[in-house]
This record gives sequence, C-alpha cells and structure tokens, in this order.
Amino acid sequence: LTTAERTAAAGATPAAGRPLRARLAVHVPGALLVAPGVLWLAVFFLAPLAIIFVVSLASRNDSNQLVFDSLSLNNYAEATRPEYVPAFLNSVRYAAITTFLCIALGYPIAYWISRHGGRRKVLLLILVMLPFWTSYLIRTYAWMIILRDNGVLNGFLQTIGLIDRPLILLNTDFSVILGMTYGFLPFAILPLFVSIDRLDHNLVHAARDLYASGRAAFLHVTLPLTLPGIVAASMLTFIPAIGDYVTPDLLGGAQTTTAAKMVQVLFSTGRDWPYGSALGFLLMLMTLVGTFVALRTLRRETFG
Amino acid sequence: MAERRISRRSLLEAVAKVGPVVALGPIIAACTSSAASASPSASSAGATPGASGPAPSTPAEPSAEPTPEAELNVYNWDAYIGENTVKEFEETYGIRVIYDKFPDASTMMAKIRSDGKGAGYDVCYPTSVEIPALVSEGVLQPLKLDLIRNATNLGAEWSNPGYDPNNANSMPYMWWTTGYCWNGDTIAEELDSWESLWNPAYSGRLSMLDDYREVFAVAAFRLGLDPNTTDEGELDQMVALLEEQKPLVRTYTTDDIGVMAGGQADIAHAWSGDVYQMYEDVPNVRYVIPKEGAVRGSDTMVVLSGAPHPIAANLWINFNLDAEVSAANTNYIGYMGPNAAAREFIDPAILEDPTVNPDLGLVDKLVELLELGTDTDKYTQRWNALKA
Repeated sequence: LTTAERTAAAGATPAAGRPLRARLAVHVPGALLVAPGVLWLAVFFLAPLAIIFVVSLASRNDSNQLVFDSLSLNNYAEATRPEYVPAFLNSVRYAAITTFLCIALGYPIAYWISRHGGRRKVLLLILVMLPFWTSYLIRTYAWMIILRDNGVLNGFLQTIGLIDRPLILLNTDFSVILGMTYGFLPFAILPLFVSIDRLDHNLVHAARDLYASGRAAFLHVTLPLTLPGIVAASMLTFIPAIGDYVTPDLLGGAQTTTAAKMVQVLFSTGRDWPYGSALGFLLMLMTLVGTFVALRTLRRETFG
Repeated sequence: MAERRISRRSLLEAVAKVGPVVALGPIIAACTSSAASASPSASSAGATPGASGPAPSTPAEPSAEPTPEAELNVYNWDAYIGENTVKEFEETYGIRVIYDKFPDASTMMAKIRSDGKGAGYDVCYPTSVEIPALVSEGVLQPLKLDLIRNATNLGAEWSNPGYDPNNANSMPYMWWTTGYCWNGDTIAEELDSWESLWNPAYSGRLSMLDDYREVFAVAAFRLGLDPNTTDEGELDQMVALLEEQKPLVRTYTTDDIGVMAGGQADIAHAWSGDVYQMYEDVPNVRYVIPKEGAVRGSDTMVVLSGAPHPIAANLWINFNLDAEVSAANTNYIGYMGPNAAAREFIDPAILEDPTVNPDLGLVDKLVELLELGTDTDKYTQRWNALKA
C-alpha cells in the first residue's frame, strides 16, 4: 500500500483520489526537482571556483597571510611569463597524447567487449575497473619499480640478452605518458563501451546490405554514431590528465615539469596562494575552453 | 626532509619480480606493499587494544606529574622513529598512540597550518627553520619543561639554539647534513667538490633534491654566496648556474634513496641520513660534505597549540629524549640525534660513520637554512622558471 492509499483507506483525507506520487509531480515545480543538482554544483564546483578566483586576485602581507584590500590581476601577469610557457605546453602535450592513446586503445577494447563479450560483458567491465581497487599512488610506484634502470623490465630484457645496458625508461616523456595512459584508460573505455553498446547494429547491417565495405560501414556508420562516446571519453581523459601532478611527479624527470607541478610548489613549500590560484585558474580556463570547443564540435557533428 | 623509506622497497621489488608477467606487477606489488607498510606501524595504532582500558602493569613514573590523557596523536615522517618506540611508550604510560605519517614536509606543514592550531594532532616534527614562523603564527604551544626533564640529555650545542631560545617551543629530534653521494661501483674517483654535480660525464646519471632551498644552496656554495641570500642579483647568478646544470639532471626528487637504489643515478644530491639507508641496496655508496660548505638541518618535536592531549604530548617528547630511546631511534633510522647521553647506546658503526656523524671540525662549514618569509617568492619563482 502507498501512503496515499493507506490514508485514503483510513478515511483521514477523502480528497486522495490519485496516488501521492502523481499529485507530487503536478504540484512540485520542476525547479525544486533540479535543486539538489544545482546545490551540488554550487557547493562543490562554483563556490571553490569563485574562492580560487578571488584568492588569485589577492596579495599577501609580510607574515604570508592573504590580504584582500587591493585586488589586482598582477598574479596573472606573473603567471603568463614566457619562462612558464614550456610547462603549460608540457601539460597540454601530455594530456593530448594520453587522450589520443586512451581512445586508440580503449575503442577496440570497448568494441570487443560490446560485440563479443556475450554473457561475460559484466565480468569484462569489472576487469576494466579492477585496477581502481588499489590506490593510484601504489600503482604508480609499481611502475617505478618496473621501469627503473635496474627494474623488472630492464632486468628481464638483459636476462634474455636483448640489451646489454639498461634502457632509460623512467624519468622520460615515455614513462609519464605510459603512466598516464595506464591510469586513465578505464575512464575512456567505460563511456566508449556505453555508446558502442547502444549502437543499433542493424544500421551497420543495412550499410553492408547496401554494399558498403566493412571499413566504409565503420567509418560512415559506426564511428559517427559513437562520436558522443568518443567525445565523452576524451573529456574524461583530457581533463584529469591536464591537471594530473602525481604521475609527472613520480614517473617524470628534470625535463618534464608540468603546470600542475608548479601549482603544487606554490601552494605547499612556496606558500604563495594568490599566485598558485592564478596559475591554477589559468589551467582550469584552458580545460574549460578545450571542453567547450569539443562540445561545440560534437553538436555540429551530431545535430548538423 | 627526505622521503624516508616510503615502503619496504626491496621486499616490494622481490615480490614484483616473482610475477613473470610484467602486467601483474602492479597488482602483486600493491598487495605486498599494503602488507609491508603495515609492519612499521604494527607497533602503533591497533597493536594495543587494551591500552586505553585498565592501567598497564608499569605505572606512570613520577606520581607527582599530572595525569596524562588516554590517547596521543603523533604526526611524523614515515620510517623516522625506532622500531619499538611507540609500543614502549604505550606500555610505559598506558597511553594509546595514534601514529600518523607524512611523506613530505610540505604536506605536513600545509596540514598543521590548515586550522592554525595543528589540525587535531598533538605532536609533530617540523624542521627547525620553520619554528620561528610557527611560533609567531600561534601554531605551537610552549613546552611544559617541567615534564621534559630529559632535556638535560641534550648536547650543549642544542640547549639554546638560535631558532628557539632555551628550546621553549621545540625539542631537537634528529639532525643531518646535505651533501651528495655517489655509487663507488660506477664512479671510482674521490669527489669532494660541488663542481662534480656539473660534470658532463654524469649527464643523465645525476639527480638533485626536489627542494628549492637545498638546490639554490648548492649554487650559492659554488659561487661563494650566502645560501640565505635574498639579493635578486645573487639569486639570478645562482639560477644561471642551475640552468647550466639542468640538462645533465635526470630528475629532481626527494626520493634520493630510490634513485640510487633503482640505478637511475650514479651521483645524487642527498641527505646524510638517507645515505645511511642506501647501504642495503648500494653497498658501495659514498657520501661527502663538499669542501665549499654544505647545509645542516635538524628536525624538532613540537606540541601543537590545538593539541587535545597536551600532557601526553609533553610526556612523549620527554620519552624520546631518554638516552636509550633516542639511541634506539638513531640505530633504526640512521640519523644522528642531538642527545649527548644517548651516545653510549648508539651502534658504534653509526658513531664511526662520518656520513651520519661528521667530524665536528666540519661544523663551521655547515650553514642552517633560515625561514625567509615572503622573500621565499624570489626563490619559488626562479625555481618554477628553472624547472619549466
């Protein structure tokens, strides 16, 4: 029995003609229903963003406390100095290559799970997510042990006689991109899987019936119809990748500094919150612009 | 200051090697590491289920002292205390210790400053240079020196340090020097100058500490400048020298033990105590305090101003200044304490090792880094530009 039915049966509210839920849906305005979502966004996204922005305009007194009496854009002028450009470029480069590799590796995996997973689909998806059962930090340390000069991989290659001097793997672009691709691959596979799994395969069959080659059917039917999944996967990879500082910090080296690492120095040892906030805000702006462009492109592609 | 033995590396590695499939490495390593990292803390948190209940067999020593609280929250470097110190303290006083560890100093400093009074911790281990700022910000509370009678064990040079007169707010814990080390198997020469860190022969085999004050200090010693300078012109000279060095540097990291043990570096800017911890993996590691001069630093024990258990906190500090406890700490971690009374209990191998316990004749070449307030920006900006 629903509450409405129960109260109706008790005769307390004779007006209860329809179930409570239906009456609620009519009377509660839509605004109230989205309120939790809006509140969540406001508290956990907009408020922190606003705080970071205000702090980025502030300055500090001699004992390192924040001062808000003369807000200015000085920190931004400082943050866009040409010396820092390489670090920003590094961030974008790592994030872009990582995103590309995650899609290139994730798409076939997601496709295979969706088309050939059969009864084991759920198991296969759990396997994709399995690495999350261990802390990312621990998994990154494990990569250090594998990649270091006298590590597992070099040891193996030397034992089988393929190389006689250790390969320089750790502290390079290679190790950073490897670590990031490894870390973000599950974030790419899941949205790709959803969009591939939702694809009506009859459309592909129709294309084949109309004498499209397998390649043409993929390029003109499957790929465009799964584009939303590709964009979602790209965003879920690119956004955390551009702000990732753990991977470049642990697997990177002297020549691989990223913007996120600079922000970390400013907030912790440097204790320069305004300047760190300005750098962080710029980084976020870059991400937002990238996301916006991606979404615009998607809308044009899918809705004409 | 270093990342002191983040995990039991050798164990981790041994198990990772067992898995012939490289891809299994992370999973296996992950399983082991959680088991391995439990061992240092086994003596802490959950190890004494009954401690908070009935009083232990050994009563708290002098009965005139105020009754300590039932618990104590300690926040220290990972692997920076004797193996049994926590357990012995719990048994002696019947206080349950909640022992929390940090991997780098900046994490700890940010945390204890987050609410301006220590974020709920009782005892913490900041570097001595931070003490004046922490005192003026009100993050620390003065020590109850009548509870810390073991302060008399301190060597004369530690009883009235410049950063904290009469140790009113902090007690010295361990000290070290910052020089550099090299692997005697791959570099046969005797090295004694900072110039070696600019030697192109070591290109790609060289690591520097990821600590801007330490790195700038190296440049200052080479140029004959004061490592605490705030002069823009001098800092520009230092950073120019470091720009010259950067192409040779494999990585800037505080894991000096890891880069030497992992074979990434043959020569590394390093903290003396960490070199002691390298012996196991790199038996022929050598360490030098370069002739141009070097940085000396020390860590302290402090009671935070918001400490929920201040009496237990002071008793903890007193306990760690006990001659035998202090010696046990040193024997396990390889850092020298400032405790003169402890010397007779310290492993002779450590006392005779000039890496850990340098000749006092060198002490006048050693400089302590000072807190520079907002002038720190001059360093961080150049540091970020150097690394970018």
